[in-house]
Amino acid sequence: MARVRNWQIGREMSYWYPEARPERQFAAVFDTNKCISCQTCTVACKTTWTSGKGQEYMLWNNVETKPYGFYPLGWDLQLLEKLGGQSWKDGRYEGSTLFEAAAAGERVLGWRPEEIDYAHPNVGEDDCAGPPIETGADLELPHDRWFFYLARICNHCTYPACLASCPRASIYKRPEDGIVLIDQGRCRGYQECVKACPYKKVFFNPMTGTSEKCIACFPKFEMGLQPQCFVNCIGKIRFAGHVSTPENARADNPIDYLVHVRKVALPLYPQFGLEPNVYYVPPIHVPRRFLHQMFGPGVDAAIETYRGAADDANLAGLFCLFGATERVVPRWKRSGDTVIGMEEDGTEIVRVPLREPVFVRQAFDATHRVTRTNTP
Amino acid sequence: MRPDGITRRQFLEAASALGFGAFVASATSAWGLDAIENPLARYPDRGWEDAYRDLWKYDSKFTFLCAPNDTHNCILNAYVRSGVITRIGPTMRYGEATDLEGNRASHRWDPRVCQKGLALTRRFYGDRRLRHCMVRAGFKKWVESGFPRGTDGRPPQELFDRARDEWVRATHEEAAAIVAAALENIATTYSGEAGQRLLRAQGYQDEVVAATKGAGTQTLKFRGGMPLLGMTRVFGMYRLANSMALLDAKVRGVSADQALGARGFDNYSWHTDLPPGHPMVTGQQTVEFDLNAVEHCRTLVVWGMNWITTKMPDAHWLTEARLKGTRIVVIACEYSATSSKADDAIVVRPGTTPALALGLAHVVMRDRLYDADYVRRWTDLPILVRLDTLKYLRAADVFGGEAAALANQTRVLAAGEKAPPPGRQDEMLIPTALRTEWGDYVWWDDTAGAPRPLTRDQVGARSAVGNPRLEGAVTVTLRDGRTVRCRPVFDLVREYAAHFDPKTVEEMTWAPAAAVERLARDIAAHPGTTLFAIGMGPNQFFNNDNKDRDIFLLAALTGNVGKVSGNVGSYAGNYRVALFNGVPQYINENPFDLELDPAKPARPKQYWRAESAHYYNHEHHVLRVGNRLLTGQGHIPTPSKSMWFANANSILGNVKWHYNTVVNVLPTIEMIAVNEWWWSTSCEWADVVFAVDSWAELKHPDISASVTNPFITVFPETPLRRVFDTRGDIEVLALVGQALAERTGDARFRDCWKFVDERRVDVYLQRIIDASACVAGYDFNDLHAKAKEGVPALLENRTYPKSVGYEQVTDSRPWYTKSGRLEFYRDEDEFIEAGENLPVHREPIDSTFYEPNVIVAPPHEALRPKGPRDYGVPESDLSCETRQGRNVVKTWAETKATRHPLAADGYRFVFHTPKYRHGAHTMPIDTDMIAMLFGPFGDIYRHDKRMPFVAEGYVDMNPADARELGVEDGDYVWIDSDPSDRPFRGWQKNARDYKFSRLLCRARYYPGTPRGITRMWFNMYGATPGSVEGQASRADGLAKNPRTNYQAMFRSGSHQSATRGWLKPTWMTDSLVRKELFGQQLGKGFLPDVHCPTGAPRESIVKITKAEPGGLEGVGLWRPAKLGLRPGYETEGMKRYLAGELAGGGDGKEKA
Repeated sequence: MARVRNWQIGREMSYWYPEARPERQFAAVFDTNKCISCQTCTVACKTTWTSGKGQEYMLWNNVETKPYGFYPLGWDLQLLEKLGGQSWKDGRYEGSTLFEAAAAGERVLGWRPEEIDYAHPNVGEDDCAGPPIETGADLELPHDRWFFYLARICNHCTYPACLASCPRASIYKRPEDGIVLIDQGRCRGYQECVKACPYKKVFFNPMTGTSEKCIACFPKFEMGLQPQCFVNCIGKIRFAGHVSTPENARADNPIDYLVHVRKVALPLYPQFGLEPNVYYVPPIHVPRRFLHQMFGPGVDAAIETYRGAADDANLAGLFCLFGATERVVPRWKRSGDTVIGMEEDGTEIVRVPLREPVFVRQAFDATHRVTRTNTP
Repeated sequence: MRPDGITRRQFLEAASALGFGAFVASATSAWGLDAIENPLARYPDRGWEDAYRDLWKYDSKFTFLCAPNDTHNCILNAYVRSGVITRIGPTMRYGEATDLEGNRASHRWDPRVCQKGLALTRRFYGDRRLRHCMVRAGFKKWVESGFPRGTDGRPPQELFDRARDEWVRATHEEAAAIVAAALENIATTYSGEAGQRLLRAQGYQDEVVAATKGAGTQTLKFRGGMPLLGMTRVFGMYRLANSMALLDAKVRGVSADQALGARGFDNYSWHTDLPPGHPMVTGQQTVEFDLNAVEHCRTLVVWGMNWITTKMPDAHWLTEARLKGTRIVVIACEYSATSSKADDAIVVRPGTTPALALGLAHVVMRDRLYDADYVRRWTDLPILVRLDTLKYLRAADVFGGEAAALANQTRVLAAGEKAPPPGRQDEMLIPTALRTEWGDYVWWDDTAGAPRPLTRDQVGARSAVGNPRLEGAVTVTLRDGRTVRCRPVFDLVREYAAHFDPKTVEEMTWAPAAAVERLARDIAAHPGTTLFAIGMGPNQFFNNDNKDRDIFLLAALTGNVGKVSGNVGSYAGNYRVALFNGVPQYINENPFDLELDPAKPARPKQYWRAESAHYYNHEHHVLRVGNRLLTGQGHIPTPSKSMWFANANSILGNVKWHYNTVVNVLPTIEMIAVNEWWWSTSCEWADVVFAVDSWAELKHPDISASVTNPFITVFPETPLRRVFDTRGDIEVLALVGQALAERTGDARFRDCWKFVDERRVDVYLQRIIDASACVAGYDFNDLHAKAKEGVPALLENRTYPKSVGYEQVTDSRPWYTKSGRLEFYRDEDEFIEAGENLPVHREPIDSTFYEPNVIVAPPHEALRPKGPRDYGVPESDLSCETRQGRNVVKTWAETKATRHPLAADGYRFVFHTPKYRHGAHTMPIDTDMIAMLFGPFGDIYRHDKRMPFVAEGYVDMNPADARELGVEDGDYVWIDSDPSDRPFRGWQKNARDYKFSRLLCRARYYPGTPRGITRMWFNMYGATPGSVEGQASRADGLAKNPRTNYQAMFRSGSHQSATRGWLKPTWMTDSLVRKELFGQQLGKGFLPDVHCPTGAPRESIVKITKAEPGGLEGVGLWRPAKLGLRPGYETEGMKRYLAGELAGGGDGKEKA
């Protein structure tokens, strides 16, 4: 075991390999407040990568309704129970990570789902928590009956549990972008990674005898394009790019701006200790305790910041840039009511208005000799 | 050739045969256990990564338009490899759409796509694709043996064993010849006196038979489903219907002047998408706004609309508006998906929307919070109503004289004067007879203490209404010296609405009184800044016109009609064909006088007649209660002896009251022909199925537009080779035209489709464009070229976003009503008789715990409906048919003491069937990748072999309700509705058909629905005789027809087992004044998709009975419940998880 620095838990921790950060780290921001659980991301991924035999049940990208939705069944509940009560103090995680909580002889605290646990990938869809509705209701924020949608891909963690657990060292992190891959030639299907990944984003393929996972669409990412589940996201909740470590954060990097500068996007179960690289804007209508459990101590500040976006053109503007282009947008700026996405060198990629304009045409179009009406 | 010696072809074969992983494993050189010190830092051989790069590659791409009836119209990229579409994606180029002036949309419109479009890859090549035309064996025999008939004209029953019969392959030419022969035979059989005699012998009502006027062609029904979704290929069905006048001319030997075409079924109203109260208030079809308008409002009220599941590509406008400060209020009969995006989520009882709107309006009127200026300028609220006749007080009766001359953007058409074509009508056109019929109105000037005349010119800035009497009665002296007591509409409505105080409204609607008070005050505090987005939910109840009138009342009182930032929108269906109001150039081209020069416009003459399909759905009955005919003369249907439709499963397969329709209506129809590319429920029940191109294979381009976005979208001609033996929809029409030409010797049947044969449909499209007010100026070929690049164009409406009513408010242009104002009082006889001269609340007609269809009202001097006794019907007759015309008034106190007539028999659950995210109607939910994600029971491996498919239908129940019935989460249950007519009339004596008709489904514990309210999604394919047979006979146990591959998602029945057709008198008047479908001219009475029945498919009260345990193979609990992960079954750990107790994330300080 090595000692490594995990900024998300505010301390050093134990990990199977020494710290070695990639040159740039693939990362994403998901705004749960915009997610509509349409599953377009899921199907975009599935039609692109997992339509083969043995992959039928596999959803590298899935969207589940929290709190009753799980894919596979009970994935986070199981682990949280195994890990036991945990606590934070002043942004520092006081409990054990999965690496630290592993039993003697194990590298990671984990569990392996049964095949049938994957059977109902949308169990819990739109099921709400809180007391069941009796007759009418009037719910203001936060809602006391609630659910929200959690879209999930591989977190391409800085400290992947899958990578740590692989006895053949067939899982690696690409130095150029931090994407975590399973070498399909070398993997022998021991499924230690399936057991170790707390997010259950590694899947065993019984037809090939290997384990497979989300590849962050690296063939696209290498071309400067966002992955399939991002480009097809019609809720426009997703933004792909690179995240820096906190000390290297740049405000003109959209991901850094949201993660480090505004701290409005938070890691999923940071207490697991993997330093996951998909960052979530927490849902503003959900009781805080549940969110603390899931996204850590930054929840209150993140929600406060997000709810202030109405008077914060930078924040609102950047969220309006989500989904506006297939290209990865490494830099951004706002100019008045326009938000501009740019390449590293400042070349413009796309620009969008903060508010879609209203155009009013002449009632009588003299050029075409016709009346332009809204009631034709 | 790849470096490892594998060709792309070998790759594809390997990848498709074994799955990707197997290929990679075999193609990558395995290497030994090299020492890998730190895979975080370095990995020795990454050559294998090329396998994924290769999988990503494609040979070419092209665009096609995905346009089910969901209003989104997404031009998509299809990626092709080795000639096969391997994946689909958004073009990301909607942000390049411009109009003729250079205005441009932004990239915030991108991406436009959804999971259903992406899954088409598995559908274009799926096993239910029509590979060739199919003809039912018995039908073929009937045709080939010369159409034998019994003495009453009926064909031999044994040849009509639909949905169980064998199928025979046919070429398109053969199928077209069969259809042409049948059309001619049916038209001939039912023409003339002999034909009418046969129809009477078959039991049709006299007025229904008389409506054919002796023309057999009038019994031929055609329907292009949602024709806005294909102006030539879908709307072509109506062009074909028009050309049936040629057939009538031959069959009856009549001249071109006397010939009658066929009948065409309605669409928007048939789908219960039309909000029928919109024309009652505004005089035109529907008010709505493009969804990007929410960028500009302060409050958005999403009312009975599951926006984020049914307007998916435009959901971001809602969430982004919220982010920028718009308050989102969601009113729903559950804690819905969209409720989870609300700042204020209000849960109500289904079917009580009119009451809730009245309650909100009451608060505004009670506390005088209304926008008085708007009320004076834009509404009929100041207009006086006579209490003797309950009619509006007419200016002529007070002041004498003729109806005023009209000059405000209005022209009165002299008798016999021909109006310009619809797309060239600038002023509002009123036929002089209509104008003289209603004259002018009167308001009471409180300053002068005198009545004042009011013309329909005087609206908006031209309004002369200064200080009107709004509250209290006045006595007006008429010109003849008599006096009459009058009250302003405002006063009548105010008195009525006072019955709906917040506390009463809470009892009626379940919306907490405090929420009613608060919401009313919030809306009124900032007039003109609230957008009301009203969904399909409230519209699918019998009181849907009441709902519209009451919501408009609230909106008008708060200045929220006709402004970009304040308006009412109704969201259901993509319907406004008038966006191409030059379409008569195509559908109504005179078949006797065809224009064959591509450069010249056509000369339209309409020979076909429109009809509401609700009468077909209602066993061809009009509504008669006791001694009273309640269907207006203009609405009367004819018998349907042939039905041919395209682009829809909704007219048969997923029809309301489906099982009654297939058991009791279909046997009376002699030919059912369907154009399809996917074997739907409709195909199961058809006689002839034409195999047509999917969107990916269209060889004839077409055009569409939308009511929720500003885009003109072209269906491009695609380079993809036809996968199977299919033809374009429009080619099928041309083939039948050709076959008719051959049969009749009349070449005009063929000439009608000349430009199809020449692959020049652009001629028809350009004619339409040139004649259409909102697209004139565009060149079709330019639009087509852009669409091939993935770029749409912008509609040339007055505004972007479209916002109906903008011209009214901005230009002070009168509404399309008699008064030129938003009308809340209806003084036509039909409305007075129904007790709906006021905008009342009726209880739902079936989905209620109380006496159905009661008018909830206090004693009110303006409510004098005709009750059951007036019609010669006992007061106690609550049968479904009589109930429709039952005008019984009760106060809320009286109403709440009543019970639904079936309550004592255990029918105590409201059962409603809304639409959901996983399907656009039924498309494409029987695709594995989509189905597995549809709800909690999806399971791609079908561990439980009872499952009809990899997913199945389910009912959502409040857990406490389920427990009372002994139903566990995941159990199978039977659902039964009113046994008098559901699932079909006569089921008690028809076990054969009952077997596939009775609804059997899973039950889910769903804590978000109130007690007594159950929900089943609308989108799943229902059981057919073949699916039930398949489940019993197939080794895999799939509910799949062994003969057709039809795949049901129910073991038996469907969500339509519990619905039925409903006819409401106020939908069927002869007197309602409304704008014509195309252009600016006013008319009155029946108008398809504007004023005609809508049905009420969310009306159903049911009994639920446990059928089988939900555990694997019927043993014990369904597994997720057994594991304690389901609502009501939580383990201790799950309870702690829900409470957030498994990690103290918040520094130990717990907050809200």
